[in-house]
Amino acid sequence: MKSVYLSGRGLACSLGLDAGKSLETLSRGDVATASCFLPGVMGGHFPYHAISYACNNWNERARELVRLVAIEAGAQQARAGALFIATSSFDIGAGEPGATHRNYSAFTDKIVAWLEWSGPVYVINTACTSSLNALIAAHALLRTGEVEDALVLGVELDNLLTLGGFAALQLLSPGSSKPFGTHRDGLVLGEAVAALRLSTREFSHWKMLGGANVVDGSQPTAASAAAVVSMYQRALASSGLSADAIDLIKVQAAGSPGNDAIEAQGLRAAFSTLPALVSLKAAMGHTMGASGTAEIALLTACLEQGMWPRYTDAVDETLGVDLVAHLPDSVRRVMATILGFGGSHASVVLERA
Amino acid sequence: MKTFAISGRCIAAPPPADWREHLTLMLGAKPRRIGTWAELGLYGALRCMADAGETTLPEDAIIMLASRRGTYTATDLVLGQIHDDLPMPQAFLQTQPSQLLALLAAQTNWRGHACFFADTELHALLRLAAAQAVDGGILLGWVDEMDGGSTNWLRLRHCASVETGFVSALQYDINFNKIIYLQISAAGLQLRHADS
Repeated sequence: MKSVYLSGRGLACSLGLDAGKSLETLSRGDVATASCFLPGVMGGHFPYHAISYACNNWNERARELVRLVAIEAGAQQARAGALFIATSSFDIGAGEPGATHRNYSAFTDKIVAWLEWSGPVYVINTACTSSLNALIAAHALLRTGEVEDALVLGVELDNLLTLGGFAALQLLSPGSSKPFGTHRDGLVLGEAVAALRLSTREFSHWKMLGGANVVDGSQPTAASAAAVVSMYQRALASSGLSADAIDLIKVQAAGSPGNDAIEAQGLRAAFSTLPALVSLKAAMGHTMGASGTAEIALLTACLEQGMWPRYTDAVDETLGVDLVAHLPDSVRRVMATILGFGGSHASVVLERA
Repeated sequence: MKTFAISGRCIAAPPPADWREHLTLMLGAKPRRIGTWAELGLYGALRCMADAGETTLPEDAIIMLASRRGTYTATDLVLGQIHDDLPMPQAFLQTQPSQLLALLAAQTNWRGHACFFADTELHALLRLAAAQAVDGGILLGWVDEMDGGSTNWLRLRHCASVETGFVSALQYDINFNKIIYLQISAAGLQLRHADS
């Protein structure tokens, strides 16, 4: 099996239009949210991590953001490889209102044209875990030698369906995201377009060792502690590691009262001694299908540049877990986890050379 | 190169007129609030597993589900309502293709790797399946609501012992009812028919 390197990354999110700008915003603690209005009795104004890039046309805005992150990630070096597009909302935002006869191929064709892609294309939607599942799939193709390069592109942009659906399920916070927080009261959604370029022929300081996705149907909209444990065990096994080899876990911890508690329970069961934990949700919001790629792009940049997110709320002591307030001294092996709708629990393992 | 035996199948394009009654029998109760696309998917997957003599999957099996339009019928319904009020929670959940994966996992009392692919070309999907599959094999499905509906599923298990009798898939309109082995490589898809 071949080694798979994370050879490039690109990130556009509410913090900035590239990874560098995003780090600058994060280091200033200058995290601001926009507001979106949803109709109806249970509607109202909700905070939202919007990308600061104004354009009246959804498709033109998407094209420019995809182009920006693709350039930043060095996508032109991988165009003959496999393209993995990860999203939970496709281009639904472009069609609102009243679009009918949608077809996934129209969305795929747009992105393929924007990127001038010539290799095989996969479009994955497993809700919030989409881009981690895309990474896991890309890793499988690369390590078996099916392709030498792959680009995993997470796309999650403004649309009323996602916001309205989460509001209807009463999952949104009226204030801010408080990962594992004492006063956590829900998720804050966000936009992101993020690209991770994987390669077996271009060495980098980050190697992807493996990963796992576990679907558990017992809770269609929530996590399961047993599935969290199974996910970590499988991800470690696929990477040839034991639990004590992990230095840091980027957790989901989106600020949900119920799901954060379930995730904490699963973490405690999976690791007899918990590694350092970090969450990026307060900084960039929950960017749904793009969250895996977006958070890995930001996390690896943080680790390289010595930056660290800040939390506004104290961690809930009853959860039995903690978030580290400062960059740990030595971080070599990292797990990045996303939990999502459809009972999907996914985690990947990265190693820094 | 990997060779798979087709140990079970459900090729239903369109499904029989009484497919909903069959689904109710397989589930033990009438499905509620899950949408036609998910019902079609459950019907085909459970029929395929029954054909393979399985009521659940090995924990290291993987489920791969593909579709051209997926849940867009449900999505259009919600988008038509959402400008005046929030969608009903169940209506929103029906817009998420991954809900079918959760339903299937729950129905078969299974926990493992499952993934939805939108409009992914058959050979690309099989190449990925070959790269990701381990001993438990694959449950692979294509489900769509339009044109009378279709729910086509294959249960694939590794089979290293069969090496001859394959022909290129390019030479035929693929009829999975008559194929018993698949051979997948970067060069293309090879098939072996039941009568070869």
